[in-house]
Amino acid sequence: MQTQTVTEAPRLGKLYLQAVVTARLGGGGALPDTELVLPDQVVDPGHLAAYVRVCGGSRRDRLPATYPHLLAFPLQVRLLADRKFPLPLPGLVHLRNVCTQHRPIATDDPLTLRVHAERLVAHPKGAQVDLVATAEVSGERVWSGRSTYLARGSDAHGAHGATAPATVDGVAAGPAVELADDPAAAVWRIPADAGRRYAAVSGDVNPIHLNALAARVFGFPRAIAHGMWCKARALAAVEARLPDAFAVDVAFRKPVLLPSTVHHVVRRAADGWDFALLRPNGEGAHLVGTVRPPADEVLPAPR
Amino acid sequence: MAPRRAAVVGGNRIPFARSNGPYAHAANQDMLTAALDGLVSRFGLAGERLGEVAAGAVLKHSRDFNLTREAVLGSALAPSTPAYDVQQACGTGLEAAILVANKIALGQLDSGIAGGVDTTSDAPIAVNERLRQALLAANRAKSTGARLAALARIRPNHLVPEIPRNSEPRTGMSMGDHAAATALRWQVTREDQDALTVTSHHRLAAAYDRGFFDDLLTPYLGLNRDQNLRPDSSLEKLATLKPVFGRGEGATMTAANSTPLTDGASAVLLASDEWAADHGLPVLAHFVDAETAAVDYVHGEEGLLMAPAYAVPRLLARNGLTLQDFDFYEIHEAFASQVLSTLAAWESPEFCKEKLGLDAPLGSIDRAKLNVNGSSLAAGHPFAATGGRIVATLAKLLAERGSGRGLISICAAGGQGVVAILEAAK
Repeated sequence: MQTQTVTEAPRLGKLYLQAVVTARLGGGGALPDTELVLPDQVVDPGHLAAYVRVCGGSRRDRLPATYPHLLAFPLQVRLLADRKFPLPLPGLVHLRNVCTQHRPIATDDPLTLRVHAERLVAHPKGAQVDLVATAEVSGERVWSGRSTYLARGSDAHGAHGATAPATVDGVAAGPAVELADDPAAAVWRIPADAGRRYAAVSGDVNPIHLNALAARVFGFPRAIAHGMWCKARALAAVEARLPDAFAVDVAFRKPVLLPSTVHHVVRRAADGWDFALLRPNGEGAHLVGTVRPPADEVLPAPR
Repeated sequence: MAPRRAAVVGGNRIPFARSNGPYAHAANQDMLTAALDGLVSRFGLAGERLGEVAAGAVLKHSRDFNLTREAVLGSALAPSTPAYDVQQACGTGLEAAILVANKIALGQLDSGIAGGVDTTSDAPIAVNERLRQALLAANRAKSTGARLAALARIRPNHLVPEIPRNSEPRTGMSMGDHAAATALRWQVTREDQDALTVTSHHRLAAAYDRGFFDDLLTPYLGLNRDQNLRPDSSLEKLATLKPVFGRGEGATMTAANSTPLTDGASAVLLASDEWAADHGLPVLAHFVDAETAAVDYVHGEEGLLMAPAYAVPRLLARNGLTLQDFDFYEIHEAFASQVLSTLAAWESPEFCKEKLGLDAPLGSIDRAKLNVNGSSLAAGHPFAATGGRIVATLAKLLAERGSGRGLISICAAGGQGVVAILEAAK
């Protein structure tokens, strides 16, 4: 895999625009054999404060485990927006996200971020791909993330055989926890501008989060909340009880339409936490997740 | 030297008013001052320097940072009486009494007043969070340009103020919703809750009728009884009400068997036996011991209002008592279901074994000894004022009886519970 160093975090708005223009030109083919590297990123304390304010939790001298995802996300989008990338960026659906904190990250640790794509496989509704990110401090891997995206209606031609199984090792299915019968630990009243507020902090200005009209283009009746915002807020609710090293694994099942009231359910497990965001009427889960000790096999060794 | 016991000399409160009723324009400081002044006149303390006054409010304006001291300065007490604010949600009034009683027991004070006040009518309203952030950024800015840039971020919808919500910050659920979940867990029935409510009203009315509150209450702004009291309350009337908390079939909590939002204030005079004797004041009861507990309701471990179920067994163990060793039980009626869930937990062998680590359940109590003069369902519950109401009521009950022991149990927001034991003065 060839390494390409980026000196400045890409601007997301520009990339989205570019992706919309080029989406239909590219497509098909194999995943790029490229790893993007963004070296020595120093966290802006003001930005971190804004993130904590939007996502909940306490301002600490350590980074929330979901925060490095934000730093790596522009690299993900740059890979996805490239015209040679086999799946189109517009309309990509976030199926699952695993953030693994290998050790606590101080807010002044300079982070080197690496992102590549792997595991392009068929999905019953199209094709799915994993965007894998790591964060290193002086060569030590302190964090890793894996985001699984679905491109509806796309083919996984570049996969290892055109008829790959729908899921690899259950990756798309996500954590198997059932919390539907638990009483709500908290009720979230999510305002209509939740997507715009998280977009302002995260830079994820994907139009499906910003306004209802744009969301309708992609088949949603209203704007939808960012999955990573839901995840960050759910993780913040247990942040005081987290060990130094853990993996927080979330499957995004149904989008949270804005505005919305959702029930947050949390239950202590033998070796971590189970949690979910449920529809108040008992009609299923928006998101289910677990916090567990880090599992090494989730990420292959860096190449 | 064993610490001495603090004496409860007396108490005073203003009648409790329903929200946006007669006290709609009375501030916390006004009501606390009124409660203090009533106590001062009753016990002849005008111009007297007391050891301290500890009191608080749950809903507090930021300008009231020194609420209790300001109330003391506005009262007939000597201005040389120190004061400080306490806040432990609905446990505030009892916690304030524990603090003053402990200082008296240690010999640090000879006399003091514990109190509390709350208003849901004259409630604080905060500016919109994003307007606040923009104003703070403008305040921090070093140049006029930067200041204008910060102010330019203000949008019309930022002018909508933040109204305080009666909900737990970490769960977004109202206390009633939390209590409804606990009621379901303990299978507390609507009939039992309504029966407890009717009893509370009837007993409070009877206590007023026999003059029990004549020396515990000072009329205020036209009220001389608690406005929420309905002497003619009946099971039939209560049965007609629709549930307001919980959902569907399992919803049992109504506006009647839940305490309404209320305004009011209370104060209790505590002292050493010597101080009381020097002032020619009889002692009603003594503070024996107290305990505070907290539960993890955020992570689904326990119900929000169940902390007293944990505090009481610890207090009993420390004092070598059983749950049945009391002549009076004052269990604050935040909701009828809270009282009944707590009693059910103490009767449950599983709960007492698994959660409390006890070999046998605490057992049941004689309901005839529970809230004998009514409690919050009838009187109302101005959060921080409830502790003072209960301490004064129980102390007088013990003085009337001439002997015996009473247990106080108060649940509080944040999953906390404050409990205490009083004994009749001998």
